[in-house]
Amino acid sequence: MSVIDWQSFPPRMKRVIHLALGQTTYARAYALQHELHRMRCQGEIGDILITVEHDPVFTIGRSGSRANIRVSEQERQRAGIPVYEIERGGDITYHGPGQLVCYPIIDLRDYGRDIKRYIASLEQAMINLCANWEVSADRRAGYPGVWVGERKIASIGVSVRHWVTQHGLAFNVDVSKEHFAMINPCGLPIEMVSLVDLVSAPIPMENVTQRLLDHMAVIFGWDIVAENPNKYWRRIDD
Amino acid sequence: MERRDDNCLHLPDLGEVDEVVIVEWLKGEGAAFAAGDDLVEVETEKTTFIVDAPAAGRIEHILRKAGEKARVGDRLAELSS
Repeated sequence: MSVIDWQSFPPRMKRVIHLALGQTTYARAYALQHELHRMRCQGEIGDILITVEHDPVFTIGRSGSRANIRVSEQERQRAGIPVYEIERGGDITYHGPGQLVCYPIIDLRDYGRDIKRYIASLEQAMINLCANWEVSADRRAGYPGVWVGERKIASIGVSVRHWVTQHGLAFNVDVSKEHFAMINPCGLPIEMVSLVDLVSAPIPMENVTQRLLDHMAVIFGWDIVAENPNKYWRRIDD
Repeated sequence: MERRDDNCLHLPDLGEVDEVVIVEWLKGEGAAFAAGDDLVEVETEKTTFIVDAPAAGRIEHILRKAGEKARVGDRLAELSS
């Protein structure tokens, strides 16, 4: 008699919906995140993740402050970069074109209820992503995110309510140094770096996005299925 | 979400997290709450986490104030039902 339980072999992958939003304003993507979080909490949808490039924006987490904006209010307004104070952890960061942002909205009760492990998993996906371009990246104890030497290539900021995550990761592919220089990222006097600074070949955003999703699928045990975001946009645009 | 026999709100098990910082109490002393209501926001590892109410009750006394640190299982507030 066979000892293999063929009903559970191969191991079942968790189906996760991926919405590729393209480039959009922070406000619009933020409203969509909130709606998806509400839907996930109420069991109307399963785990879902967004990828997006934001129009230039500064966001400040719950332990941050506007004191880490290094330019005057006039200069910031002249640059046309709005500021949002939001519920994620961490201090200030910049999002803009050329940066891959990913917001997993998942129920951590299905992943061992372990916040540290969740953050480490996001970091690992981005460390593996760097390795695809032969860039050696690592963690830094006490400073969540992904680092290449002394420079930071990716940031993390998350909020969890009813064990369902919101916000997530931001990976610099080819992002404005001038805009980052207007703040102390994460409240620290650190230098940010983009993947293009470390690699000589062109780097299409679509390739980076696909590689990131591939790594996340392996790490989290996901079968990621792309879905058209229009039906979700309609929920907030109507 | 955790409540034990001592009628206190405890910091729930968040995994391998060492300690958290209390960011903000979302209900004050004397406030009544329903099961599932947001009670207190904590932060660790660049992550904020909302501790919600295990059952309906009232906050009698806050034991860890905003800015203070707490570990998993620590008593955060005394409750009454």
